[in-house]
Amino acid sequence: MATRLQFENSCEVGVFSKLTNAYCLVAIGGSENFYSTFEGELADVIPVVKTSIGGTRIIGRLCAGNKNGLLVPHTTTDQELQHLRNSLPDQVVVQRIEERLSALGNCIACNDHVALTHTDLDRETEEMIADVLGVEVFRQTIAGNILVGSFCAFTNRGGLVHPHTSVEDLDELSTLLQVPLVAGTVNRGSEVIGAGMIVNDWTAFCGLDTTATELSVIESVFKLREAQPSAIVDEMRKSLIDSYV
Amino acid sequence: MVQYNFKKMTVVPNGKDFIDIILSRTQRQTPTVVHKGYAISRLRQFYMRKVKYTQQNFHEKLSTIVDEFPRLDDIHPFYGDLLHVLYNKDHYKLALGQINTARNLIGKISKDYVKLLKYGDSLYRCKCLKVAALGRMCTVIKRIGPSLAYLEQIRQHMARLPSIDPNTRTILICGYPNVGKSSFINKITRADVDVQPYAFTTKSLFVGHTDYKYLRYQVIDTPGILDRPFEDRNIIEMCSITALAHLRAAVLFFLDISGSCGYSIAQQAALFHSIKSLFMNKPLIIVCNKTDLQPLDGISEEDKKLVAEMKSEAMKTVIGQGGEATNDDGVLLTMSTLTEEGVIAVKNAACDRLLNQRVELKMKSKKINDCLNRFHVAMPKPRDNKERPPCIPQAVIEAKIKQAAEKEKRQTERDLENENGGAGVYSASLKKHYILANDEWKEDVMPEILDGHNVYDFVDPDILHRLEELEREEGLRQEEEGDDFEMDGLELTPEEKKTLAAIRKKKSLLIQEHRIKKSTAESRPIVPRKFDKDREFTTKRMGRQLSKLGIDPSRAIERARSRSVSRGRKRERSVDRGDTDGGDAMEVDTPNKKQRMLSRSRSRSRSRPPTEVVPGEGFKDSNQKAKALQKARKSNKNRNKDARRGEADRVIPTLKPKHLFSGKRSIGKTQRPNALRISTASKSHLSPAFSLSRCFSTVLDGLKYASSHEWVKHEGSVATIGITDHAQDHLGEVVFVELPESGRSVSQGGSFGAVESVKATSDVNSPISGQVVEVNSKLTESPGLINSSPYEDGWMIKIKPSSPSELESLLGPKEYTKFCEEEDAAH
Repeated sequence: MATRLQFENSCEVGVFSKLTNAYCLVAIGGSENFYSTFEGELADVIPVVKTSIGGTRIIGRLCAGNKNGLLVPHTTTDQELQHLRNSLPDQVVVQRIEERLSALGNCIACNDHVALTHTDLDRETEEMIADVLGVEVFRQTIAGNILVGSFCAFTNRGGLVHPHTSVEDLDELSTLLQVPLVAGTVNRGSEVIGAGMIVNDWTAFCGLDTTATELSVIESVFKLREAQPSAIVDEMRKSLIDSYV
Repeated sequence: MVQYNFKKMTVVPNGKDFIDIILSRTQRQTPTVVHKGYAISRLRQFYMRKVKYTQQNFHEKLSTIVDEFPRLDDIHPFYGDLLHVLYNKDHYKLALGQINTARNLIGKISKDYVKLLKYGDSLYRCKCLKVAALGRMCTVIKRIGPSLAYLEQIRQHMARLPSIDPNTRTILICGYPNVGKSSFINKITRADVDVQPYAFTTKSLFVGHTDYKYLRYQVIDTPGILDRPFEDRNIIEMCSITALAHLRAAVLFFLDISGSCGYSIAQQAALFHSIKSLFMNKPLIIVCNKTDLQPLDGISEEDKKLVAEMKSEAMKTVIGQGGEATNDDGVLLTMSTLTEEGVIAVKNAACDRLLNQRVELKMKSKKINDCLNRFHVAMPKPRDNKERPPCIPQAVIEAKIKQAAEKEKRQTERDLENENGGAGVYSASLKKHYILANDEWKEDVMPEILDGHNVYDFVDPDILHRLEELEREEGLRQEEEGDDFEMDGLELTPEEKKTLAAIRKKKSLLIQEHRIKKSTAESRPIVPRKFDKDREFTTKRMGRQLSKLGIDPSRAIERARSRSVSRGRKRERSVDRGDTDGGDAMEVDTPNKKQRMLSRSRSRSRSRPPTEVVPGEGFKDSNQKAKALQKARKSNKNRNKDARRGEADRVIPTLKPKHLFSGKRSIGKTQRPNALRISTASKSHLSPAFSLSRCFSTVLDGLKYASSHEWVKHEGSVATIGITDHAQDHLGEVVFVELPESGRSVSQGGSFGAVESVKATSDVNSPISGQVVEVNSKLTESPGLINSSPYEDGWMIKIKPSSPSELESLLGPKEYTKFCEEEDAAH
């Protein structure tokens, strides 16, 4: 199931929220509309936590995590850290890391088993990612972009990457991540996949501008409905050609 | 991609409005005040500016018209032709051409007149030239009035045209009038096209949108077409033809097989064949409509043959696109818009074929290479044997199943927000969903900083374990030490209790004593006043007693004496008082500040005079600082807080000062309408000539004068009294004289009558004492005598002086003249 929503007139929902298989973090907004969309969809299953990080609302870009843990940047205050620890289940390790690149969400993309990271990340940070998140860590770029967290989104079931990723890169990344990958866009042609959508193994949230075609690609590649990634090359191929070319 | 939106074109004003707009703008936006006295260059410039400004505005406005109206040759041929059909290309171009010509003409006029204005030699000429220039410009606009009106009409019509994108996926519906085209578009899109049972209900193109396979399709409903020569077709039909000719769309040719539209299948087939050239290279579908009235199988053999012919024609379009000739599904379809049978099949077939065609075209283009990666799904090759399963909580799967069964509504924060005053009012607690061991802890307040330490620096995850460990340790220790330390009073023996009580008493006494000692300042041995009511515990007595005991009391006495802590007694400080060690007597006796400060800890910082210079303040010396301080003090006025009168108070001045408004005023005295006293005085100031003449007012010898300007002529026993020439001169024309009765006695300096002149009334004083013997009765009839002859006929009274010696005290003629001069000078 993919849902379209907006955070205070912005379609970059991935900036203002973070979704994993074990929890969902949501920025504190002016009204409860944004939060309640997640609440209605997820609150029965996983905790949906309203929080700020370092006093900002761009939490999705500042933190990285999966079902095992959550990494927050050094800008996080003690109170926010405590709030997160109180709100998340004990199995989730919340760890603040001293990393120069504090927008961890932009620098790290991960699922529950594998993580792609910015090439300039510290060695300590890399170790911390491996320990806290329990993942294999690969330093990678996506279509020449070092901000891997911004330009891709992947789960344990599939992934969407920057639209300019070449076929060879796609195959290589797919083998690294061990999930099917597709190059695509969100939010009516936006290349910043990570900012435009958040996704976990059973649900996805996209910006309000996302077109029906984009949404159907997302649903197929992340296996959110019955559709399988192969549908993109089969049934949807013509529609895709007509809309892209 | 060009966007065709004719809705945003600016309104074209008609000729009269146009002129009004421009001229009023010129009037408003250029200077309006000019004088003929200005330099000629300035006058010329003034009018040139007006002419140029007007021309500029005309140019701007006309340019927007020329630019905003689409050029028929530049836009998509579909729109080009549609506009030609609707508005006639020639007429349209002519109108725009006229606008363009007018623009050039106005430019030329302006140029000419500006040139002429350079030679204008007066304000009048310049103005005439300006008027002529503006007039000619307006005439030009007036002449293109009809074109402007035509363009405005076109603009309004164009704004109402449907926004058709000629490049997107399009499905075009065409056919004879009344065959069910509009019903179909109403069925598959949300367009609300009027459907009526007569021909040409649809008079123009209509657009609707429908979705198929994640894509949006534009559906265009065209007016019906009749089978007749091209030249005879009306505008309505021509709209359809234009759309058919220029849009790369899937064409649905509607065939009414029931014939209820009034045209037989044969006629419709004829139309099909006459316009089949327009279907070239387009996916064509023949739709047999109204099957509810007449199934396709039920038509006659000839009609079937016609239909088959059309089908074969349509098949060519499939083959033209490289399709297989055998695949004939989606070429001839039947449906009924009434029962909605087959409607969706028609739509799907049309969309499908259009999509296929477009994809095929696009596959051939170069652009496809840039996007190839996006049609590729990278499937992972296994790199190890590790299992990487997805993580979907059981609850999600359960919820999915449950969702299928029933949808239960969860109360979300948004509902709570709406119940509690909406966004901005409701503030949700962040602690609501904390996962803690005890729910009561949720709202606990945790200090951020305690005793100057950040609390979170001392929080660590296994703090609870450590606490437990510590507690356990302490428990063990307590067990060890156990019973031997017991302070409980219950288990003491009576003796022990007694001892304890004694100890406690002693302790409290000690404490009390200590406190008393401490409370007296500096622990000096002072007996409190209440124990020393008779003042018997003096130092003297102490001295006596101590010396009786054989102890030197001097130190004790000194200690008991009250003194200022730091300096000590003055006597102690004196040099004469030779102390035991005279060597450092000087230092002890004149203790300098520094030493004093060192000897005592400072309880407050040293006070400094404000003028003392502190390094870093930037003053050379204390003089300079004092000056600066004074300046600073003077520069800011203190606020008036004690209700004194201030400049900000509202004041109503005396509007009519009494001294300016009372009394008569003489001629030429409008500014100073005041009384005689002032006027006479001011007169002397203002006109020295007059004052000079007065100096020569007559003073007769042989008379005596009083300082109140009366004269006395003493002849024998009678003295005649009158007012002097000087006095009458000052009084002006005398109008009434009040005189005493004869026989009355008057005293020196006392008033005996009054003189009333046009200027003032003045009392007349008697210069000497005596009895009135005669009164000048002539004065009552003609008081002017005083003016004409003050010393002769103008005498006032005659008296018999009681003491002639009084005459001596009066002024002589010389003295009086001097007195008068002085008086005048003083005024």
